[in-house]
Amino acid sequence: MTRPATSRRILACAATAVSAGLLLTACGGDKSGSGSDSGASAKNAGSKTAAVSITVSDKNCAPTPAKVAAGSVKFTVKNDNSAKVTEAELLDGGKMLGEKENLTPGLSGDFTLNLDAGTYHVYCPGADQEKTTFTVTGAAKKTWKDDPQLVSATEQYATWIDGEVKELASTTDTFTAAVKAGKLDDAKKLYGKARIHYERIEPTAEIWGDLDGRVDGRADDAATPADFTGFHRIEQGLWQKNSTAGLDKLADQLDSDVKTLYTQVQTVEYQPAVIANGATDLVNEIQSSKITGEEERYSHIDLLDFDGNLAGANEAVTVLMPTLKQKDAALATEVEQRYEAVAAALKPYKATPGYEDSGYVEYTKVTSDQRRTLSQTVDAYAESVSKIAGKIA
Amino acid sequence: MTVTDTPDITPEPDDKDRIPAAGGVSRRRLLGAVGAGAAVAGAAVGAGATALGTRGGGSSSDSGGSGASGPATAQTVAFRGGHQAGIATPSQDRLCFATFDVASTATKEDLADLLTTWTAAAEAMAQGRPVPGDNGDLEAPPDDTGEAVGLAPGNLTITIGYGPSLFDGRFGLAGRRPSALKKLPHLPKDNLAAAGSDGDLCVQACADDPQVAFHAVRNLRRLAFGTLVPRWMELGFGRTSSTSPAQATPRNLLGFKDGTRNIDGADEALMGQYVWIGDEEPQRWARGGSYLVSRKIEMRLEAWDRDRLGDQQDVFGRFKSSGAPLTGHAERDTPDFHAKAGGQYVIPADAHIRLAAHENNNGLRILRRGYSYTDGIDPVTGELLGGLFFIAFMKSPDQFVTLQTALGQHDALNEYIQHVGSGVFVTPPGLAAGQDWGGQLFG
Repeated sequence: MTRPATSRRILACAATAVSAGLLLTACGGDKSGSGSDSGASAKNAGSKTAAVSITVSDKNCAPTPAKVAAGSVKFTVKNDNSAKVTEAELLDGGKMLGEKENLTPGLSGDFTLNLDAGTYHVYCPGADQEKTTFTVTGAAKKTWKDDPQLVSATEQYATWIDGEVKELASTTDTFTAAVKAGKLDDAKKLYGKARIHYERIEPTAEIWGDLDGRVDGRADDAATPADFTGFHRIEQGLWQKNSTAGLDKLADQLDSDVKTLYTQVQTVEYQPAVIANGATDLVNEIQSSKITGEEERYSHIDLLDFDGNLAGANEAVTVLMPTLKQKDAALATEVEQRYEAVAAALKPYKATPGYEDSGYVEYTKVTSDQRRTLSQTVDAYAESVSKIAGKIA
Repeated sequence: MTVTDTPDITPEPDDKDRIPAAGGVSRRRLLGAVGAGAAVAGAAVGAGATALGTRGGGSSSDSGGSGASGPATAQTVAFRGGHQAGIATPSQDRLCFATFDVASTATKEDLADLLTTWTAAAEAMAQGRPVPGDNGDLEAPPDDTGEAVGLAPGNLTITIGYGPSLFDGRFGLAGRRPSALKKLPHLPKDNLAAAGSDGDLCVQACADDPQVAFHAVRNLRRLAFGTLVPRWMELGFGRTSSTSPAQATPRNLLGFKDGTRNIDGADEALMGQYVWIGDEEPQRWARGGSYLVSRKIEMRLEAWDRDRLGDQQDVFGRFKSSGAPLTGHAERDTPDFHAKAGGQYVIPADAHIRLAAHENNNGLRILRRGYSYTDGIDPVTGELLGGLFFIAFMKSPDQFVTLQTALGQHDALNEYIQHVGSGVFVTPPGLAAGQDWGGQLFG
């Protein structure tokens, strides 16, 4: 999919956070995109969603209204003129549930949460009065947290993500070391070994807009050539220029960004719907950037990325599967069958050790007819996966 | 896009209560419980009517397939009847036509289930309602894609057909293949592209609004994920033939009136004689259906536009301005194929209307229902890509083969056209109350 420069990570962030209806982590760094973001979501959210507006000022960030009924709540945050206060968060005790940050004067943005009855705080660091009470009324609803099976699913998923990011940090370290040592052939083979871990956890990484852009952005995402950094910038050097020259600094930055990601990931708490929608995002990723050959345009290891996205989606689906089987056994079966169909469609392209040790053939060897077949299988899987969140939430 | 935007089609709470809860049941199964179709459809009427506001004034009767001949306010064509709508129905302004292949992983049961699901969805859409199933759940994708909400139904008809390839060994249908259903032979001047030809199934959606027609195909396609794989699709505009004398004869992209002498869909005698499959067909299930032949006919528009008017008229055998045959004064004058001037036929021997005329083909006729199309600009030459997306219905594809064999060999028009796509499908008969396409096909 061709997306406008810079908006890719922002939209991805908004989609991940907002579609899940519950945001537990920062979705920040979208200075340039907040305006369009709020524009896109400015439409009436309907009777099921309460609307709360928050205007940040030097003084405070009091919500209007300050009391809503339990359920879906959309917070629209606007900064009219404060240079001092540029963000607002919703806190449940000490825990941040959602936020909009980097709102320089004139910008606005929004986030949506499913809130149970209780007392919360709207928090805007730096204001004269930083915290204002926000009350949600009604009966405390039974949530997924009362369901041990779903709690266990989220824990399982968090553990898996942590492990993947740990692997990512270590394989990236090895990769960047080879780049810096000028070992071109080694670097090319190590590139995919790091990439796959990123592809498995991409929706999680996308929570950090800036970080995702720095690590995984494409040439066309970058506002200026200097903003094109990370895996694909190094990929360009290794394959298009066939050289490691001038990549040292980029390698260091990638290494450090990935380490930051590893630190950040430890703080993420997952919701079942977030996990399910993340799976949909991953399968959509296959469709939009792997089938097209867009993502690995210099290295052509797209099939390895495909494998990573598919594995990431499958992990997310697998942890939710026990619940899904109870809620909708037919959908569960359909999801499993369509996953098998995608896996089977990908299989003929496996190779040992494969192109650049990727385990697959070079993507340029896959004909357009074959790509279409892959695409149709992925589409069918994505359609099924997209229904999971609605069943388990 | 943020997913929290409540779609406009989210039913109000009291409507929602009337829609069967989807919880625990997949959409496919929800729809699949047809007989069910009736229950779902009935239940959703409230939602549709409330959420969508304007709807047509009423349905025309269509038991004989005569289509939307009701009052001007009627914007819906009856979905059920003795024949499928979209054949005898007076041609709507727009077309969306698509063909599909059954996925290699799909089973006979998958296909039967899908056809049942399609029936419920098609019936709802033909009545101007969204695809059933939406309950306004913010965590789930809407079941209807939404782009036809608020648009008039525009006489939407959804007509399905089955290609010869569907009756191979895959789904146990070999014994149910209608006798005349087979791939068309190679015809003179054919230059067919496989990517724009054939298919296991086809869907013809016609409506007076292109978005309504597209919406129908898009939603059927979506329901078919995992079971069908899209093969090709064409959008048509400017219907190129009239299927009712009440309609003006439109012009094709060559600027000529073509289709003046088409069969009138309301003429049941002619329809029975040339269009509807009758008792001659051993497969009883197919009787009352028809054969659909589609041909994508590319026109060399730039070259045509440089041809002198006299030659253009000779190619068709009609006057460009009035549409009258070269031997007449008014459009509907009967052509005189014997008339000569200066020793030459007034309507030339290779004129399009002479070769296509039933008088010169032992009375043979077909019901044409084509549309103009464009695919934009040819990336290689920069010339316009467009022409006629020809669709015709007939009792046997042999009727088309006979006509096209003559035209392909002799038609003066061949200098300006080329057949680039082709398809043949049996369109099953209409559905009776409670019946669905799955049960009809698999018996």
